[in-house]
Amino acid sequence: MNPFAVLGIPERFDVDLTSVEKQHRELSRALHPDRFAAAAPSERQAALGKAVEVNEAWRIVRDPIRRAEALLALHGVDMTEEGAPTADLEFLNEMLEQREALDDAKRAKDLEAVHKLAHAIEAKSKAVEAVLTEGFAREDYAALAGKVGELRYFRRFLDEVSAIEDELAA
Amino acid sequence: MALFEIFDPKAPARPIGIDLGTTNSLVAYVRNEKPVAIADCDLEVLVPSVVTYQPGGDVVVGRRAKLLASEYPRDTIVSAKRFMGRGADDPETRRLGPYAFVDAKAGEPNTVRFKVAGDRVVTPVEVSAEILRALKEQAEDELHHVGGAVITVPAYFDDAQRQATKDAARLAGLEVLRLLNEPTAAALAYGLEKKQNGTFVVYDLGGGTFDVTVLVLDDGVFQVRSTGGDSALGGDDMDRAIAHELLAALGFDDKRQTPQLVRLVLDESRKAKHALTTEESVEALVPGHDSVTVTRARFEELIKPILDRTGVACRRALKDAGLKADQLDGVILVGGATRVPAVRRYVAQLFGKEPLADIDPDEVVALGAAVQADLLAGEGRSDEVLLLDVIPLSLGIEVGGSVVDKVLPRNTTIPCSAKATYTTQEDRQTGFEIHVVQGEREMVADNRSLARFTLKGIPPMPAGLARLELTFHVDADGLLAVHAKEVTTGIEQTVSVKPSYGLDDATVEQMLLDALDHGEEDLVRRRVAENRVEAHRILLATHKALEADADLLQPGERDRIVAACEALEESARGEDPGRIHARIESLDDATKGFAGRRMNRAIARAIEGRRVDAVEKSVEHAKGIEEAHAR
Repeated sequence: MNPFAVLGIPERFDVDLTSVEKQHRELSRALHPDRFAAAAPSERQAALGKAVEVNEAWRIVRDPIRRAEALLALHGVDMTEEGAPTADLEFLNEMLEQREALDDAKRAKDLEAVHKLAHAIEAKSKAVEAVLTEGFAREDYAALAGKVGELRYFRRFLDEVSAIEDELAA
Repeated sequence: MALFEIFDPKAPARPIGIDLGTTNSLVAYVRNEKPVAIADCDLEVLVPSVVTYQPGGDVVVGRRAKLLASEYPRDTIVSAKRFMGRGADDPETRRLGPYAFVDAKAGEPNTVRFKVAGDRVVTPVEVSAEILRALKEQAEDELHHVGGAVITVPAYFDDAQRQATKDAARLAGLEVLRLLNEPTAAALAYGLEKKQNGTFVVYDLGGGTFDVTVLVLDDGVFQVRSTGGDSALGGDDMDRAIAHELLAALGFDDKRQTPQLVRLVLDESRKAKHALTTEESVEALVPGHDSVTVTRARFEELIKPILDRTGVACRRALKDAGLKADQLDGVILVGGATRVPAVRRYVAQLFGKEPLADIDPDEVVALGAAVQADLLAGEGRSDEVLLLDVIPLSLGIEVGGSVVDKVLPRNTTIPCSAKATYTTQEDRQTGFEIHVVQGEREMVADNRSLARFTLKGIPPMPAGLARLELTFHVDADGLLAVHAKEVTTGIEQTVSVKPSYGLDDATVEQMLLDALDHGEEDLVRRRVAENRVEAHRILLATHKALEADADLLQPGERDRIVAACEALEESARGEDPGRIHARIESLDDATKGFAGRRMNRAIARAIEGRRVDAVEKSVEHAKGIEEAHAR
């Protein structure tokens, strides 16, 4: 599935999410099962299938990681987890250090330190997204796979932060 | 399988909306384009969600049952909703209530069972069905012929709890048009009256559940951005907080508390809570004991932990929606507990704006459900209003080492599906054990287990060679089906997730037969009637489609469809339900390709339409927000 085609939007990384969300909503309006409650089963099935596809496309496009993966896949770069290149050692070491700092903050129940670490990673994440925007504009696809891998590391880190927040709040 | 009344052309069936609440339930319908709650003969709209099973076998529901509660504490089930879809061994189950539980025998589903008068054993599903039946009768007194129902559930309800609610409706003889999330219903009740665009939070503190929902209202589309909450937090907890205080003040320790006393003190606590909405202090009087003074300040201290727990969920929901509090256009209050002044103050402070509460917070959900029922039944403005809901909790499966692999993350818009591929860990492994879980935590044990099943019959292969492809599919009701397929051999299996502690189909079917006291013959007649209604509906829809998009038909396709229609018409004149069903399926086959082409056209139109009036719409949208601010 080409999520950009499903949503009827251009294939690019820097998308206007507000506008795409609107597009998704219009498509959902046309396809939602409620609209076909009184229709024949074949039609209900067809609408449901398309609605699922439209929702999946929106889920991909709204997420920078999955959006980048989809774009790279469209240009023949394998972006499944197995196909991704291994990140460079320096980056891995840095993430390892950040992880340890997060573990320490968690053990100390220091929510402020957790937030500080999270903000730093969020900033890095934004910077990498800017690099991706530029790279996609230059059509320099092969070099971008590693950057997407970095975003995945940041995502896992921030998921861990959310889990810690929940745990400390409870 | 839907069970509805034999079709009577004279009395049109009216769709209804039902708020099946923890403390109170109510039923509403749309009259002259406005939703109204239906009152009983005493002009009361709230039906207490209380059921008493009397020694003689009589079942009493509502206010009368509530009066009987202190006399028959073990035979009176209150807050049955809290037990819906829960296992008997769930810690939540034994938390409160003077009930006598029956343990499941070996091999029986692990459902909560109450032992009530006359050695009867009832499940929460049956108790809820009694309440739904009473509401249905109340609606029939006013409308004569009740059609399908939209029943609301907390957004935070998991799959098991939703399924249990549907089972209860089936037992009560109600056709469920849709399960609707309560906050969405509230927004629907507000949205239709106010017609404003923007981003809203629904803060719903009911008797037993707390929900927070962030939604975007845009030209009639209600899109849920995120949901959160706690399925065991509400006004009842406030009552309990006061009750603990009263029991301590009266000098009762845990051992000296009888079921009757607990019930009396809880009732008194509830009254005190209500009085403290307007009074600064109340004298709580438990019959036969000294009175105890409860001040509003002390009450607010007691409920602070409850409010803080709602705050955690609210902040998380905002974060999931990617929003800050100052980007919100409004906050809607739902649930009786939001009448408490401290709750309103807390909400105003949390979101930085005064909450909306123009519609009665007890009625707003049922009114919204009535609006949705009206839309679904095709009598309303279905072109204008649409709900885009999300799954409230992540769905995943257990992978090696008791870790959860999330297949569908929470807040994914439904309907949705997702695929995930796994492989074998051991050589010559001939089966895949599939364990479906729901929740946000990393370890399986910290989440809710939804279902287990095994895909068998895979030929022995070296580890890592077999490829198991799992497809999760969530329908518009938020119910999950899992499809498992081994790719190299093509062996596959589909499971609708029926939780292990729920009721299986056979049990529900048996309860249905028992409850209706109908023989096999009646059941066949019902099926014929149901299939006939279905056949007519499909024929009508097919003719409309043929007329609207005749240009999309391929050579010979019209003839095939028309022939299938005629065959269906002929079978619908007969009395064989199986034959009607088979002909429905053949017509379905004949129209498949045509339906797909029609859908592509609908999509193309939606995309085109958006391009043409995108500018216009964004101007309208901006206006809507301006109006919302000016209000």
